[in-house]
Amino acid sequence: MTPGSWLCLLAPLAATLLITLLGTRISRLAAAWISTASTFVAFGGAVWAFLGVHSQPNRAGWTGFPPPSPVGRGELTTAWTWLQSGSFHVGLQLLVDPLSTVMMLIVSGVGALIIWYSVGYMDGDDEERRYFAYMSFFVFSMLLLVEGGNLLLLLIGWGLVGLSSYLLIGFWHERPSAVAAAKKAFVMNAFGDATMALAFFVLIAHTHSLSFAPTFGVHLSSAATSLVALGLLGGAAAKSAQVPLQTWLPDAMEGPTPVSALIHAATMVTAGVYLIARTYPLFEHARTVELVAAGTGALTLLVAGLIALVQTDIKRVIAYSTMSQIGYMFLGAGVGAYANGIFHLLTHAFFKALLFMAAGLAIHAVAAEQDIRKLRGVGRLMPYTKWCFLAGALALVGVPPFSGFFSKDSIVASAAALGTWYGWILWLCGVAGAFLTGLYTFRLWFIVFTGEPSPFVREHHHRHRGREGALTMLAPVGILAVLATVGGWLQWSPAWHPLTDWLTPSAPTLPAAAATATQEYLTSAAVVVAGIVGIAVAWAVYAERRLPIPAAPFWRRLLEEKFYFDALYDRLFYGPAAALAASLRREFEEPVVLQTGTDIGDTTLETGGVVRRIQTGFLRTYVLLLAAGAAVVVLAFLIAR
Amino acid sequence: MLGPGVAWYVAVAACLFGIGALGVLIRRNPLIVLLSLELMLNGGNLALVALSRHWHSGAGQIFALAVMAVAASEVCVGLGLVVALNRRRLSLDVDSLSELRG
Repeated sequence: MTPGSWLCLLAPLAATLLITLLGTRISRLAAAWISTASTFVAFGGAVWAFLGVHSQPNRAGWTGFPPPSPVGRGELTTAWTWLQSGSFHVGLQLLVDPLSTVMMLIVSGVGALIIWYSVGYMDGDDEERRYFAYMSFFVFSMLLLVEGGNLLLLLIGWGLVGLSSYLLIGFWHERPSAVAAAKKAFVMNAFGDATMALAFFVLIAHTHSLSFAPTFGVHLSSAATSLVALGLLGGAAAKSAQVPLQTWLPDAMEGPTPVSALIHAATMVTAGVYLIARTYPLFEHARTVELVAAGTGALTLLVAGLIALVQTDIKRVIAYSTMSQIGYMFLGAGVGAYANGIFHLLTHAFFKALLFMAAGLAIHAVAAEQDIRKLRGVGRLMPYTKWCFLAGALALVGVPPFSGFFSKDSIVASAAALGTWYGWILWLCGVAGAFLTGLYTFRLWFIVFTGEPSPFVREHHHRHRGREGALTMLAPVGILAVLATVGGWLQWSPAWHPLTDWLTPSAPTLPAAAATATQEYLTSAAVVVAGIVGIAVAWAVYAERRLPIPAAPFWRRLLEEKFYFDALYDRLFYGPAAALAASLRREFEEPVVLQTGTDIGDTTLETGGVVRRIQTGFLRTYVLLLAAGAAVVVLAFLIAR
Repeated sequence: MLGPGVAWYVAVAACLFGIGALGVLIRRNPLIVLLSLELMLNGGNLALVALSRHWHSGAGQIFALAVMAVAASEVCVGLGLVVALNRRRLSLDVDSLSELRG
């Protein structure tokens, strides 16, 4: 079990180092396959760890990591003590428990498929080796995040994920927009990192530890717990692109398509959900903050769903759908149904990776065009891509028997299970979100994949050796299409729930959020009907054109400007900061800092001009000066005596 | 104590040093300048040895030995420079070598 977790963690890191150190001595293709193979090895390690945990008996009487055993099932291994300062010490620890094994499987499994897909997608790009080194590093960072056995290692993984996302979003560094997007993502994430670090400082001050067990065992004052939970929520919201820290995610589409898939499906944005599930005892002590997290999720899923309706870039539509689905996960984790949140994370990883990679196939085949108005009708020429995308789209909307149906409905049902007015508002948001999901997903589907191909598509479409793409691209898409279809059958909450049972030792569902079978069935019905109505409206508007697109210029503009979040942040933060910097430059930098340097130089030069006259070039002058100097010294000594 | 007092020795040393210094200052032939330098060094040596005897301390004589070593190496370098000047057919005049003027 433990060797498996180390293998899982270190294989991608080894690939990164290998590709970096070998440099141009290996071919680009070799770098690609090293990266792919290492991630599959990591997946093997994750399976090993999973089987190890699976073979352990499920110890009963589990109450929030009581000593001596850190978890009811699983193992906490310490390689060595890494930091020590007085009574505070942090070990290099890995935690292998039900929650982390599920995350390891998702990260390495879906990550491996995405990197495999990149072999074909990035073929012929400049600097492929750098790309694959970054990809492996990204997977390593995310694995460190989910396997870290204490909060400090989790934070390190958290920071490294931010760093590698920065590197990958800005991979095409010759494009200014990509560099700007990378910086934006980094700054937004750094904000979250900072709030998390502050939360950890509060924790250290109160419990003198960052280990999971004592941190969760000690009962903090309610104010301190709320503060810590708020800090963690800030980090989670930044990493998972929740309102109000969501603006970096759509811009992150500047990276290559597999990077988008990796960020959205296997790594990074799901980290916030994992964090809430991992630190759930803290959040349950600060129940108000936890409910704020649920509300944030509900708000985000509506905001993102609405914005997705007017986007014209195929990748951005999918990006907003990610924000929306992460909103569902936050909603689930926030009301206390952690297992439901993680289950949606799992199915979402399948269908979101599938959607991005199928979109990537289309983009690749049509001269890297991403505008859906130009891509119109490309599905007619690419049947394989079309049907795979349809599987992903149906899973995203949650139409049975596709995977999203099983996971999304139980999240909305657990909101209803709260029974309070707040729970019902969340429930309504969830159902409304399902309608929006159906609408924007099938708007994309009907525009891009059905109907007559546009002139642009006819002109630019090309096939790759008689196929729709390289085999390395088609195979992962096919595997994910199958997974997106059947992946949800793992669990149907009213009837069977192996995943929830599996996760109970790590993150048991709050009793208040456990939905009854009736609530599950009714919610399922409502969500599915809402989704299908959304699909029907999309069909009527975009395929049949029976309904006109409502002309509401104000609303349209509001959505196109993404609710003015970017403009607001520009005004609030960027504007003042830039003005302050400009005035400092004008008032301080130029007159004081720069002028000082010039002054020092000028003075030295002038002094030199005077002193150089002593240097006559005549030996005898020097001797005379020497002798005179010696005479003066002798005289001085004589007089002083 | 046999021989003249230490004052005589120091006086001779001062004379030697003064003659040497004057030679360095007014002569322009580098060979003579080097000779004059030797005079100055030996003036110093004489003073060291004389005072060493006067104070019954060996340190001054050790110092004199060190000065001799320095003098020998200095002459090597100096004569090397003179030979090099001669090879390039430059005039043996220290005043003409003034390219390093500031």
